[in-house]
Amino acid sequence: MATDKELSDFLENVERRAFKQAVYAVRKDESALDIVQDAMIKLAEKYGDKPAAELPMLFQRILQTTILDYFRREKVRNTWISLFSGFSRQEGDDEEFDILSSYEAEEGTAAAESSADQFERAQTLRLIDEEVEKLPARQREAFLMRYWQDMDVAETAQAMGCSEGSVKTHCSRATHTLAAALKAKGIKL
Amino acid sequence: MNTDDINFAYKVRHALNENLDALPASTTDRLAAARAAALARRKPDAASKPAKRPLFDFNALFTGPALARLGVAIPMLALVIGMGGVYQYEQQEHVAALADIDAAVLADELPLTAYLDHGFNAYVESQQRQQ
Repeated sequence: MATDKELSDFLENVERRAFKQAVYAVRKDESALDIVQDAMIKLAEKYGDKPAAELPMLFQRILQTTILDYFRREKVRNTWISLFSGFSRQEGDDEEFDILSSYEAEEGTAAAESSADQFERAQTLRLIDEEVEKLPARQREAFLMRYWQDMDVAETAQAMGCSEGSVKTHCSRATHTLAAALKAKGIKL
Repeated sequence: MNTDDINFAYKVRHALNENLDALPASTTDRLAAARAAALARRKPDAASKPAKRPLFDFNALFTGPALARLGVAIPMLALVIGMGGVYQYEQQEHVAALADIDAAVLADELPLTAYLDHGFNAYVESQQRQQ
């Protein structure tokens, strides 16, 4: 069974990546924060007594379910809004997160780089971020779980509720799509 | 996936990790608060919960203190006496029911052998049909 410290360390280690995963899916920072908080609370409340080794897979599963729940609620809400109003939904929230502005606040890590280099690097990172966000949902989930969350094929398959073969296919397609998209934009990793 | 693909995937991972370091302070603060809220609502540890005492601990009869022994012995005695009483009552009811049947058969005008006669049974059925 995971100790308090193990659970705390696990959540601390995974929270920012989980937030970005949620942002990629729902494209709203506030909603993504709510989703991550819900997922953390569900994990602690319902699976707090599980061994530390099982936490990554369980957390990913909860996170994916919470994201799905969010989309279901949004769908119902949008149905009611479209029934009672002719106005389209405000999209302002999508533009709140400006990754370039946060890079300008970065200190120390890139002190040796010139401003032009820093700008170019920030732009590259932003483009990679955008291309990951554009991936089809299942490909993105598989890719992020495998290569960002360090989960193996079996754990990813269990968290996604699909076969290991499907995980490999999703990962391969995601990698090729990303490579092609970045190459088209002149980015070489 | 070949080695080049895997290398590419890990380079993307590196870029994504760099992006993580650039998250705004408000976001990281909110995530830390969410983590604290989650830890506060953690499922309690099974080991830390006090051991649940069974309602009726049979072992206490031989090992526990005098009061605990009485607490076990008295309900057990009451149970044995109660079961004995129920058994006696059932036996008496059974004997009384048999006596009633015997009395009814002996008091009947019809001889016992009549019930063993197939012709008599047929006669009784035909009488019932006519009625």
